[in-house]
Parts: sequence; C-alpha cells; structure tokens
Amino acid sequence: MKKYARYLLAGLLVVNLAGICLAENTLKQYDNIKGRTYHEDLYVEKQCDACHTSNEPTLFPPDDSCLECHEYEDLVEATAREPDDVWQNPHNNLHYGKDIPCMECHGEHSRREPMCADCHNFSYTKHNN
Amino acid sequence: MTQRKDYQEGRRKFLIGMGTAGLAAMTVPVTASAASGKKQTWDLEHEVVIIGSGFAGLAAAIEAKRKGAKDVVVFEKMPMFGGNSAVNGGLFAAPNTPLQDKEGVKDSPEIMLKDQMKSGRGVADRTLLLHIAKHAGEALQMTLDAGAEYLPYLQQLGGHSVPRTYQTTVACGAGIVQPLIKKCRKLGVSLINRSKFEHLLLDDTGKVIGVTLRQNYYFGYDQPGKLVNVRAKRGVLIATGGFAQNIGLRQAQDPTLTAEVGCTNPKGATGEAMLEMLQKGAVPVHLAYIQSGPWASPDEGGFGYVSNYSIYNFPHSIAVNCRTGQRFMNEIADRKTRADAELACRDDTGKPLPPIMVTSYKHAKKHPNCKKVLRYGVGWKFVSLEAIAKKFNIPLAPLKKQVEQYNGYVRAGKDDQFGKSMKKAKDKYLEAPFTVVRLWPKVHYCQGGVQINTLAEVISSMTWKPIKGLLAAGEVTGGCHGVSRLGSCSIPECMVMGMTAARTIMKG
Repeated sequence: MKKYARYLLAGLLVVNLAGICLAENTLKQYDNIKGRTYHEDLYVEKQCDACHTSNEPTLFPPDDSCLECHEYEDLVEATAREPDDVWQNPHNNLHYGKDIPCMECHGEHSRREPMCADCHNFSYTKHNN
Repeated sequence: MTQRKDYQEGRRKFLIGMGTAGLAAMTVPVTASAASGKKQTWDLEHEVVIIGSGFAGLAAAIEAKRKGAKDVVVFEKMPMFGGNSAVNGGLFAAPNTPLQDKEGVKDSPEIMLKDQMKSGRGVADRTLLLHIAKHAGEALQMTLDAGAEYLPYLQQLGGHSVPRTYQTTVACGAGIVQPLIKKCRKLGVSLINRSKFEHLLLDDTGKVIGVTLRQNYYFGYDQPGKLVNVRAKRGVLIATGGFAQNIGLRQAQDPTLTAEVGCTNPKGATGEAMLEMLQKGAVPVHLAYIQSGPWASPDEGGFGYVSNYSIYNFPHSIAVNCRTGQRFMNEIADRKTRADAELACRDDTGKPLPPIMVTSYKHAKKHPNCKKVLRYGVGWKFVSLEAIAKKFNIPLAPLKKQVEQYNGYVRAGKDDQFGKSMKKAKDKYLEAPFTVVRLWPKVHYCQGGVQINTLAEVISSMTWKPIKGLLAAGEVTGGCHGVSRLGSCSIPECMVMGMTAARTIMKG
C-alpha cells in the first residue's frame, strides 16, 4: 500500500506541474533573452550564474547545473512508468539510464523536443518543449 | 550532489584574447617532439586512451584494467555514452555456448566462420572472423560477469545455419552497454563525455603518442570546445563506430544512400576518426560496403521497436509485396539479399511501396517488443486476411493463396518458393489473428573501415606494418565481414577486438 501511496503522491505532483506547464507556453521573452517563466526570478534579478559559471555567459552551463536545485531522484520518481513501460522513464531509461544531460531534452532559452522522439512515437504529454 | 565542474569560465573570451599561440604557451612542455620537429606539449596524460564508448571501447577499458592498467580513460564525443551500441538490437552470436548445449545445437567457430564467409561473398577476412568466433564465448562471459541479462532461448538470424544468437532481455544493446559502463565505473575507468577526438599525435618515428581532443564539445550546437593534447603512455585505441550518419561520406561510397534513406544509428556516427586514421596512413578497406537493415520500419525513426520485432519474427512470418499479394524473398536470407528485394517493391509509378510482414499474433506476442509495436502504432493487429488486404490495398485472392501455400511449406518443413530454412517455423502455421508491420531498409552498418590485424593493430599503407601505438576495434575497422555482415556478428566483433586491443596495449 505504501508503494501505491508514493506513486499517487508523485502522480499528483506531476499532474499539478503538468497543469501549470501545459496551461501556457512557459517560454517568455525577458530583457535580452528568452527564458522559462518558472525561472522568472533568475531573469528579473539577472542571475545568469545561477546556472552558468559566469554572469555574462558565452558558453553552455555544466551538465550538472540543473541539479544544483533539482533533486534527480525526485525527477526519476515523478516520471516513473507502469511496470510494462518501466524503461520508458526519460529520467531512468533503457538506453542511457540516468546519464542523459538535462539539456538534451529540456531547453531553458529555446524549445527542445524530447530526444526519444528521434526513434520512437512516444507522447510525453508532460514535457513542455 | 557531485562537485561542480568549473571548466568553462570565460573560455571563449580567453581564446579570442590570447589566440591559440597563447593557449599553447599556457600548457606545460613535456618530453618528446612531434613529427613536425616542434616540441610537443601536453595538457593531460593517461596510460591507456580510448576514443569511443560503445561495446569495443568499454570492453577494452575493462580488459585493460584486468590486465593491470592503473589509468584508463574513455573519451566520448556525444553527451551520452554508448554510441550506436546503446540503440541496436542487443543480439550476440557465439558458437559453443551454454544455451546451444541446452538446446542441443551442434556448432563450432568453423561453422560460424563458414556462414559469415558466405554472406561476405568471398571478400570477408577469414583470419579476423575466426579469431573473433574463437573468442566470442569469452566476450559473452565478460558481459554476463558485468551483469548483462539474456533471453533464455537462442534465435536463428538470417544467414546463420544454426541458432546461435543470444539477445538481451531488454532487446537492446543497452542491456550490455549499461552493465559495462557500471563495471567501468566500479573499476575506476574515467568516462568523459562531450570530448571530440580531432587528431592523432605522432613522434618522429611515426609512433602514435597521443591525441588532440576538443573538450566541452557540444555536438549539434555552436560550441566547438577547447583543444587539448592528451598524451597516451601505452597506446591509443580508436573505437568510434561507423559513418552511416555521414550523408556525404556514405553517398560518396554508394550514391543510392541519399539523405532520404533512413538510418538506424544515432547522429554521432559520422566517421571523422576513421578519416583521421586514413590521413595518417591507415589502409582503407571496403568503404563502399554499407549495409541496410531489411527489418526496419518506415513508420518510426532510427532502429525503433519494429527492427527487433521483425528480426525475431521473420523465421515464422511471411513478407508480402502489397502489389502482388505474394512473397518476394526468403525472409531469413542475409541482410543484403533481403534489403535489395524490399527496395524492388514499387508501385506502378516506381515509387516505394513498403512490403508488409504478416505474423500469427500468438507467435508474435512472444517477443517483448510486440506490445510496444502495437501500442505505439508502428504495427497493427488484424482478425483476418480480408482486413489486411483492405488496409494495405492488397489483392485478396493471391494473398489467401500465398498463406495457404506457405502453411504447406510449414507442414512439409521445406520452402519450395524461396528455399527458406523452415527449422524455426516448425508447427508455426500462419493463423488469424495476425499482426502486421511495414518494412523498408535503413542504413545500418558500415562493413568498411581501416585495416587491422588479429592484434587489433592498425596497418600502415606506407610500410604495410602496424602503426605503433595505434589500435582500432569495432565498426571503425573494415574488411572483416566482407560485402554483408550477418546479424548479431557485430557485438562479438566489437567485444572481442576491444578485448584484443587492450591485451596488445598492455603487452606493450
């Protein structure tokens, strides 16, 4: 039972997040760059170095930048799949396990498709491009 | 949280400000001089340097560690590890295995060699193939030791005279790559992504002493990364795979492989490391022999789900030309024979008309991919031949007659139409309900590459001797399979030649 409760909790969290994300396009133009509305504080306060190694970035941030704030195991749980599809969890998948850098599927300043779409017809409805 | 890497701070500005001369001056000069006579400088130093993180690179890393290497590094161009090895069918052919014992299959390295030589159409490399077949069991054991799991039965793939193919339970090469990566990490192998190999560095005697890499390289984005020179104390292994995704290069070899032809490989399979070896004198072999997979589907990208589904089901299925309602090939002939036959399936105007594969649902569902194929709309279930004929616009009478005829072959154990081996089709009659997928070949594998010997040493076209310090293994090498590689023979090749390369390097 405890296990199911956990799924339910994770599920609720995801539905909630998805609701927010799907309600509108989360990519918004800030002063000189597009960014995600759920990171608005960073743009208002011009904290580029929250992710990049410099506050005047010219390069992509390190692969583990997002994990400064996001707990990876929570993401794994939030996108857990039914036993039949257990390996289609984008955060712990058959091909690459937990090793895919976030930006391969998530764009902070631009739209990005999930990389699974290169070969598969999955619909990841919670992914907000 | 792991320690954050801080390798990018102001790097681009630094490059613009100082220029590459400034960058070189920053590095510490260490021993040896380059072929140009200039003093060679090094940014990094490792005992064994491996380029590419597929089966060959990972097997080499593990074997080098087993042989006592202290410092092994694997550099990967892409953001993820595994290359094409992470997205293929996970099919592993080996002779004299425990599963063959269990199933009472009589086999030997020599019988496996004979099958491969036939598919190689006279120009496969007998010595390399026999070396691989003899060590395939050992390589299979390495994957088992690392934790790879296989289906409890063997498959008989096209062109193989006996069932000898293992398949991972996840029906994917990742079922081997993931355990190998874990094993590498456990053994202390450094795995570094976003690092693109650029050049080999040679000393005055022509020996390979290191490589130039781009660190922090973002494939497909405008971030070229920073050039660094890496010294390899014992040797460099190039295990970078094929070039099926390099449209210009593949089309230069085979003009029919235009951008319109699909490809099962990930986007990184572009072959620059092979070209660099050729520039340094390696012998090019069979570059024009580029194989297309006859089991791929036009209804999904890449290798997808259908490829493995078809590979498993071909022995007890029929492939039907939608225009005629009849079979048009031996469904388990070698890959080239089948791909050519499929490409000939055209409508009246000459446009591609992908043929279909018809399987009894009760047999198809035994493969784990069947569910996925149906769920993701890349295959369909039908209650009758009438329904199939209607959906794909196939003349019904010939289709019905064909199925009846084929079931006669199943009963007789002999295919009078195309000479297909009916061993694996025993008692497997075509009966409703059916499942159907569409077939169209996709570029899958480059038989060609650089020439190596059975020690995995790269041969020089200038001296016809091994280039010292340079080894290559896997799809980047050429000649071993000849015109057409048999399915499930690449994984043993990559694993065995990777292990072989590590042994050669560690013998020094």
